[in-house]
Amino acid sequence: MKLDEVVHRRTHEAGPELLFECLTTPAHLARFWGPEGATTPVDGIVADLRPGGAFETRMEFPATGHVHVVRAVYEVVEPPVRLVWREVESGMRTTITFTDLGDGTTEVVTRQQHQPEPNRTPEARAGWASALDRFAEHVARLA
Amino acid sequence: MTRTADQVDRLFAALADPTRREIVRRLAAGDATIRELADPFAMSQQAVSQHVKVLEEAGLVSRGRVAQTRPCRLEPEALGTAIAWIVEQRDVWDARHDRLAAHLDTLSAERRSGRSGRPR
Repeated sequence: MKLDEVVHRRTHEAGPELLFECLTTPAHLARFWGPEGATTPVDGIVADLRPGGAFETRMEFPATGHVHVVRAVYEVVEPPVRLVWREVESGMRTTITFTDLGDGTTEVVTRQQHQPEPNRTPEARAGWASALDRFAEHVARLA
Repeated sequence: MTRTADQVDRLFAALADPTRREIVRRLAAGDATIRELADPFAMSQQAVSQHVKVLEEAGLVSRGRVAQTRPCRLEPEALGTAIAWIVEQRDVWDARHDRLAAHLDTLSAERRSGRSGRPR
């Protein structure tokens, strides 16, 4: 079991095109994305559907007044088979694939994976690599 | 113990590395010193030390004191936290997909009744 990855599977009675649309259109997302007890208003959702485009959701919890905003960036947009986004703050990557089962149903597989610190951005990766190089040099000098 | 997003982050960053996962697995079988942990890896003790430090900062490992040694010990509570997060996330997706299924039913019903189709 990979402790840093969550995998979730569900088969829906709909084709991949409709499911892809549901997961990428604010008007659809507002109807199911947020939990019971929260509202996820349409105008709080941004889905700029292209690599590098923003994917943002805003959930309001009237009982506590708490507002939860998640900001992400799309990495892969391949309708109707694959969708990948990465949360800006945590670097967590979510991958959703849509498989047409041929009988009017579609299997939707969701993977969420935390990214190790050095891999979060190309800049961070470059910084980490040079830090490791410097550490290796330092250790070699000590030996 | 409530988990902050930061703590969960550090937990998964720590567990995302295969060497650190192997260290966690070995410590699950009992405490070990850095030297004992470095043994099976083609890695210096300094490198293993670095990995253990990350695990310590994530709360997964603690260091004891036995004579001159500082053995590493797995802290199972933190591991439980990681597992709890996974279960929580699965629950979130389960509930979300339940709502999606209900939404799809509504769309079908709207279409069948001849009302205006998909929301724009």
